[in-house]
Amino acid sequence: MRRVPDQIESETMLDLLLSQLANGLALGFIYVLIALGLSIIFGLLGIVNFAHGAFFTLGAYLALTLERAYGWPAVILAPLGVAAVGMLVEVVLIRRLYGKDPLFSLIMTFALALLMEALIRRIWGSAGQPFSPPDFLKGFVEYGPILLTRYRLAVIAATCGLLLLLWAFLQFTPYGRILRAGSRDPGMVGLLGINLRRVLTGAFGLGTGLAGAAGLMAAPLWSVAPSMSHAAIMPAFVTVTIGGLGSYLGAIVAGLAVGITTALTVQFWPEGSASAMYILMAVVLLVRPRGLLGERWERFE
Amino acid sequence: MSDETVSSPSITGSTRRGILAGAALAAALPSFGRNASAQSVLKIGVSLPKQGPQTEQGNFIAGGIQVALDQAGGKLLGQPCQTIWYDEPNAQGAQQNMQKLIDEEKVIGVIGGGNSATALALSAVAKRARIPLVIANAAARELTGKSCNRYSFSCQTPVPVTCRAMAPYLLQRGKKWYFLTANYAFGQDIANSFRELLKAAGGTEVGSDQTPLGTTDYSSFVLKIRQAKPDVVIAGVPGDDLSNFLKQYAEIGLKGRIPVACPIIGDSDIEAVGAAAATGIYGKPWDRQDPTNSAKEKEFATAFQARYGKPANDKAFLGWISMTMLLGGIEAAKSTEPAKIVTALESFQVRDMAIPARFRTWDHQLLHRWLVVGVKDKVTDPRDFFDILESVPKTADGLDALYGAQADIGCTLGDL
Repeated sequence: MRRVPDQIESETMLDLLLSQLANGLALGFIYVLIALGLSIIFGLLGIVNFAHGAFFTLGAYLALTLERAYGWPAVILAPLGVAAVGMLVEVVLIRRLYGKDPLFSLIMTFALALLMEALIRRIWGSAGQPFSPPDFLKGFVEYGPILLTRYRLAVIAATCGLLLLLWAFLQFTPYGRILRAGSRDPGMVGLLGINLRRVLTGAFGLGTGLAGAAGLMAAPLWSVAPSMSHAAIMPAFVTVTIGGLGSYLGAIVAGLAVGITTALTVQFWPEGSASAMYILMAVVLLVRPRGLLGERWERFE
Repeated sequence: MSDETVSSPSITGSTRRGILAGAALAAALPSFGRNASAQSVLKIGVSLPKQGPQTEQGNFIAGGIQVALDQAGGKLLGQPCQTIWYDEPNAQGAQQNMQKLIDEEKVIGVIGGGNSATALALSAVAKRARIPLVIANAAARELTGKSCNRYSFSCQTPVPVTCRAMAPYLLQRGKKWYFLTANYAFGQDIANSFRELLKAAGGTEVGSDQTPLGTTDYSSFVLKIRQAKPDVVIAGVPGDDLSNFLKQYAEIGLKGRIPVACPIIGDSDIEAVGAAAATGIYGKPWDRQDPTNSAKEKEFATAFQARYGKPANDKAFLGWISMTMLLGGIEAAKSTEPAKIVTALESFQVRDMAIPARFRTWDHQLLHRWLVVGVKDKVTDPRDFFDILESVPKTADGLDALYGAQADIGCTLGDL
């Protein structure tokens, strides 16, 4: 049995903390993606999507299937596949919930989540499936005191890239402008002759596509099983609540906050690492009930 | 004329009453019929998870139960026998379903308990309703300890026993251990058992972390382990969490450098990790590839493969042995009365096994072998991860020592 190499001997508590933070960032970014999707769907469609975790799981499973069939380059199609399923679901189911009592969307999307999980179990089986990071992302890198695995570094880089793309899309493209306008005042957008229905389908597809992307990235880290949605959905809702429902910057800040808090708690209070994000949420809500960057939504007031 | 006037209403009246009476009787008849037909088909209740994270386990255990029933020709005491399987969503749901099995389906025995929480709940129902219960897959020591009762029997080996079986093997690797255990009964049990064994051998605990159940990100914990540099890592976490942990353990590069050990694991947990990240030393009740398996056990493996097209795993074995013991006990009792079944089960043995399996009389624990297995260095077949390192005990005499003395276990069974 080989000895663990000597370079570890000189680590201190601070080094360990920094490494934990860095690796926890990858988790935080995955939460950001999920929360962002949720925020987009709520902000633009007014639907609280309880099935978001199921789309996350679907992303992971599609990535698995694509990788097995065509190799790693093909997994980029997984979020697109999830977005396609999301758009189909929107046309068939979600569209009927617009403008109705939020309770309906809660019940409908919750039932959808259960249905999707059962379908995934039927198609792929109930056993956990093996899925590892690609060979070129194995191992870890060391930047001074920080030890970060290659795969997590890739996740952080990819997520940042995705967030930039999303921001540019919403800010500079006509479609993005319509999405932002439609969330504020759908009536006016309709009067301007824009077919808002199709725009909203696209928005739901975008939101679920982000969840799928998160699933793809989480799959090599977590075991891929039909119940993996349970582990993703609660942090997603906590993140959105902390950041403010409907706020993009809020989702980013909150996602990172949750990831960092969880990683830090492991060092000082391991048993509480799961509860840390809820305590954070309680503290934030006491100070700012709308979330850190939450906005007023006229149509819900 | 007066006869007609009198008789018509009275005939109508009596006819109406007659129809009503006849209808009432007709409505009551099926329930008589059901009782009569219920006697001719004997029913065994099954309580196992059908959905949620433990579905896979539930399916395999139920498969093993079915194979045992097939091997008995689908018959019990000369009558046809069938199993009725209800879901176990959580402990309370399991209790309600078991009550339904007893009251509505009139089962003569139940096999169940996908995990320790539901098993303890079912055990309480068995005691109250006086129905024999065979617990297939729960390792909590209370089941055959503080919470034992005359009507419950347990097949899976309890945690302290599995730790005792593995400890000598782990101590060979070194005496500095790191404990990473899940913060619930199973994990705490593992931590306590191994702590005692480590102290008795003069070892040191270089670190201890309790993780919340269902933790997905272990990177921070693995970094702590890396800094502590133990000889062995005790990963006392359940299947799903272990899969996550091992993946991240390999990610940070500790696979193959510091051995991981968990006293109880299922085959499907390691399969979920994948060949790239799988590593460690584990305990199992049974392995399909074990060359010392008896003819009966090999027959079971072949029958399971033939029926389900998948290789039999340790959970399937637990289902099979539970059903084989229950059916055997009922046959030996020659009756469906619960008290007689319990008495028969206390002395029934399955002889054609590597070590004959029987329930210990004073705690109703199934005494059977325990295997210490290690993940192969090079895994080529995704269904074949393990090398068998050790099989304890070597002979039947060692069973009592391995499974613990009466004073330590603290079980008083009570009366029928």
